Amino acid sequence: MSDDLIDLDGGQTRMEVAYGSDDGDNDSSAIVAKKEASLGAIFEQNYRPWDGNLGPRWVRNYAIFRHHVFGLFTSKGHRHYNPFVRLTILVIFIGAISPIAMLFFSSLFGAGPDSFIDKMWGINRSNLWGQVLGYFPRNLCYWPLLTALVVGGMISDDRRNGTSAIYFSRPVTRVDYTLMKYLSVAVVLGFVIVFSYMAYYTLAIVFKGEGWGFLIDTLPLFLSGLLCSLLLVITYTSIGLALSSISQSRFFSAIAFLSIIYGTKLVALLVDLQFETSILYVLSPYDCLAHLGQWLLGLELNYSHSLSLSVVSLIMMNLISIMILISRVSSLEVTRE
Amino acid sequence: MDDQGRKLSETVWTQLDRKAGAITELTIRQLRNRISTWVVLGVGVLLISLLLAFYIDSIRANFEPIDNDGDSEDWDNDGYPLGQEMIYGTSDYDTNNYPGSSEYVYLGDIDYNDQPRTHYGNHTWLYATGYFTPTWIDEEAESPFSYYNWIDWGSRGIDCPDGSPFDDWTYFQSPSYCALENGTYVVFGASFAGEGEISVEPGWSAEWGYMTESFFVEKHPKSMYIDEDPINGIDDDGDCLKDEYQTEDNSPNDSNRNGISCDVEWIYDQNGNLVSIRADNNVDEDPDDSEHIGESSHRTFIIGTGKIAFVMILGLFLPLFLALGLVRDESENGTLHYLLSKPIHRGEFILYRLLGYLGIVVSYTVMLILIVALITSLIGPGDSIVRLSDYPVWMGIALATILVLTAYGSIFNTVGLVMPKYGVYICILYGIWEFLMGLFTITIPNASITMLSVSHWAIQIIDAVVMISWSDTSLIQQKADAFGLETGISFFWHPPVHTLETGNPFVALIISVVIMLSISIGMIAIGQSIFRNKEIM
Amino acid sequence: MSEDNKTPSVILENVSKWYGQVMGINDVSLAIDGGVTGILGPNGAGKSTLFKLLMGRLKPSQGSVKLFGIDPWSDTSPYRRIGYVSESERLYDWMTAQDFVSTLARLHGMTREEANARAEHVLDFVGLHDVRHKEIGKYSKGMRQRVKIAHALVHDPDLIILDEPLHGCDPIARTSIMNVIRELGSQGKTVLVSSHILEEIERITEQIVILHNGRLLALGNLYAIRDLLDKHPHRIMITTDEPRKLASAFISEEPVYGVRFPEEGKLEIQTNDLSAAHSVLPRVIVNSKVSVSRIDNPDDNLESLLGYLIGGT
Repeated sequence: MSDDLIDLDGGQTRMEVAYGSDDGDNDSSAIVAKKEASLGAIFEQNYRPWDGNLGPRWVRNYAIFRHHVFGLFTSKGHRHYNPFVRLTILVIFIGAISPIAMLFFSSLFGAGPDSFIDKMWGINRSNLWGQVLGYFPRNLCYWPLLTALVVGGMISDDRRNGTSAIYFSRPVTRVDYTLMKYLSVAVVLGFVIVFSYMAYYTLAIVFKGEGWGFLIDTLPLFLSGLLCSLLLVITYTSIGLALSSISQSRFFSAIAFLSIIYGTKLVALLVDLQFETSILYVLSPYDCLAHLGQWLLGLELNYSHSLSLSVVSLIMMNLISIMILISRVSSLEVTRE
Repeated sequence: MDDQGRKLSETVWTQLDRKAGAITELTIRQLRNRISTWVVLGVGVLLISLLLAFYIDSIRANFEPIDNDGDSEDWDNDGYPLGQEMIYGTSDYDTNNYPGSSEYVYLGDIDYNDQPRTHYGNHTWLYATGYFTPTWIDEEAESPFSYYNWIDWGSRGIDCPDGSPFDDWTYFQSPSYCALENGTYVVFGASFAGEGEISVEPGWSAEWGYMTESFFVEKHPKSMYIDEDPINGIDDDGDCLKDEYQTEDNSPNDSNRNGISCDVEWIYDQNGNLVSIRADNNVDEDPDDSEHIGESSHRTFIIGTGKIAFVMILGLFLPLFLALGLVRDESENGTLHYLLSKPIHRGEFILYRLLGYLGIVVSYTVMLILIVALITSLIGPGDSIVRLSDYPVWMGIALATILVLTAYGSIFNTVGLVMPKYGVYICILYGIWEFLMGLFTITIPNASITMLSVSHWAIQIIDAVVMISWSDTSLIQQKADAFGLETGISFFWHPPVHTLETGNPFVALIISVVIMLSISIGMIAIGQSIFRNKEIM
Repeated sequence: MSEDNKTPSVILENVSKWYGQVMGINDVSLAIDGGVTGILGPNGAGKSTLFKLLMGRLKPSQGSVKLFGIDPWSDTSPYRRIGYVSESERLYDWMTAQDFVSTLARLHGMTREEANARAEHVLDFVGLHDVRHKEIGKYSKGMRQRVKIAHALVHDPDLIILDEPLHGCDPIARTSIMNVIRELGSQGKTVLVSSHILEEIERITEQIVILHNGRLLALGNLYAIRDLLDKHPHRIMITTDEPRKLASAFISEEPVYGVRFPEEGKLEIQTNDLSAAHSVLPRVIVNSKVSVSRIDNPDDNLESLLGYLIGGT
């Protein structure tokens, strides 16, 4: 249609139309006048180098980090977290620190070390393990939901809305971007998971009025549990962010994360019950962590396969997720996809 | 006029049909064009193939007959397997003692202080120490038991020492003998057969008896003692009834203490429902693997796959991925305007969108179920080539899955419409709730809180269909429990709960189907009425 | 059908629509029938709200909307005779134009074959026949607009509503879409076109509706409206080498009451009667033998028109 409406003779240059680059303007063309334009002027373009001072890299990165993390508490000027998400995270956090309340009550009543409350919530190997890796409710409801909600739109929103351009049109590298996104998610997860764990341990000692001996006795256990919680945060963050970087839809990443966590666990359970082999648990991120955690805390192992398989699988999961994340972020287009 | 009216109504219906077809087709093509759809469906196929791989592997490994109680072994190498020796009451660790072998019968003895200390006769002598003056020695005779000190006449005995041979009794090595010059043998703790007079050395003893006639017993092949007791409550192979040497007081085996030896007690409640089965030892101890373990783990596989893989995983996640955005995404993208500017009612629109979604997921699950059903029914245990009795159960699983997909689809779609902003979070929370309730329904079917979930009713459908199609499942379950067979069927299957106290699975089936359908229809109706009054920007 | 023809296709009676505190449409009464009508107004004037009310997307807060005598909010039957091009830019990028249009045609109850034939015909009409089997995602913006128009025309509607059909198009696409709209108007259909650019509407139709802040400002022929505003001065801008010579020739003419020289080489004529001024203009210029390179009506844009209308009421 362009041919019969516009005379192409004058213009020898066919130029891609500058606007709407992605709209497929393949067959429209701009006609650039060669000689006909007698009126008009060409302005000489002078580009002066910008010689201002760029803030140090960490300041820029901190701004990204702050943008994501502070958004949890105040949405003014920071990443907007849905009020519903905030409420859920609050509920999860309260759920995670509920043993502290129990221990507080037990200290009020002066319950002894053999009391029911102490067995259920006091410091021991199983409880330190359970505070991070217990299945119900923490790993069945709390942590997967928390990760799904936090991770959901972390990168996929940028893909969808093209807001990654906000970062990449500034002196922020993709490495910084990825790193800060990762750190933000890890810190939010860590705030709930690791912080609640540390608070639980510290306050349990305070409330029960334990002495230095108890502290020294239980410190290795505490540190093992801390390691577990850090591994949990890292693994969930890797998987979640990788999923978030795959899709444009925040819900896809959230649901995909949940389906990975639940699906693998459930299939492994089915196979374990039916065929009496626990090998499929290596596919489940949670079970790999739980297996490692049981070993670290010196608990009886629930799994019949070798621990090294779980560890290898855990490392593979993290590696694959981070590789996906890196490749997806490096291919992130600055325009809206 | 009448003719015209019919024509008109025909047109209305065919037009409706065309609209439905167009939107359904559009939805299917739309879903088909999304990569995430294929990822989700692919993951589902992977999951099912993984389960199938485990199933095939276990069919190969587990259903080969295993001798659970070890009575096919021939420990003493006499050619008779343990089971046959048990039946004949012979020893399984004595080569010379086997079914049909001649047995020693005690006649008399001379103890260390009995008087007189001589005895004459044609006997089999055991543990004799003294002087034996033979009339005839049966050099060909065989020891009734391999461990008796049978004298090997073929090899010459040692020469007797001078003086009394019993002074230095360490001289002899049992069983041994030496011949005196007068033809008398000095025997020391030896067993042998022959006629003559024995003079037992004071302080020592001798025993005599006779051997019964041996008779020929055909050796049973080992395979007879693998899977020899099918579970029927009868000691088919007789190893309980003949198992006397294991009970010290020789009393009949009655480990379930009901006064009847070697039986299986079935305990019923007052309604006539089987409560438990308790078996005596060695009854039904080696059930036929392919018939029982094979059967029950085959059923467990089908039930477990149906409940967990199809209803809980596919049934929950397919709608989460595919149904949530059916209308919501359209209105977010603005493409809804194209569809709604056509003469189509908004309520119809929701329905057709759901139909399109169901078109994909239903054909997908039905296809998956068909493949799994075909493979498992072909290679599953049983004599027939195809296990036809599996198909009603697979149909029940398909029904439950389709109903779950419909219910979740309409719920998620409606929630996405009602709350475009928070809907997805609600759906995620709701999904976790359903997941939890599904797990609870499998483990604690009687809990009433689980009735507040869709997955509970879907699992009820499967339970009911299993009871209808495989009416002996609860029997198998009881047997598995009673005989300690770990097949997992007790975990995965419970009789349906909601039978209105009748115990009839059809009641549970109908109730569950009706409830799930009304959830779906109710949700669609809510979605329609909300969508109808929704202003679309 | 025959009864409907007596009443106008579109009737709005005292329609108001507010979103919370914000007025979208404020007490608008309209009756539109036959030919092309341009709905003019700046952004936020209520054009899209008006169309969404017409299409039953929104429920009027007050008043009544009737399409062919039927309330579109509660009844979808008028849609059989309406084609609607929304302002939404999103399309199903994975579909071909042929598929897209025929799928939507089937929603009118056509059979697959009918729909395919209609789609082909209508894509030919909007000039996309050659590329109709290409995926929409590969189309340019102008082509996408024409696909949207095609889907609205597929069932041969009596009323066509086009919400900013020229938005974001290059001049070529714009021209071809305008041709399509003019063609529709000449076929005797009722066409509603919204735009915030007067020039566009001017090239399509003279019949306009002007909306501003949700209020109906004017209704009728574009030039008739201008002429109603005679008491306001109109300006004609002439670019010439000898503005003073030309000015002296003009100043003696009846409709002209003032001249200005806003910048070098330009002459501004002020008049109370635009059409009279225009009628004397060629004569004066020819007589004065001054070479004129350009004549502009700077007031003939929407802003100035609106300025007059708002100032005048």
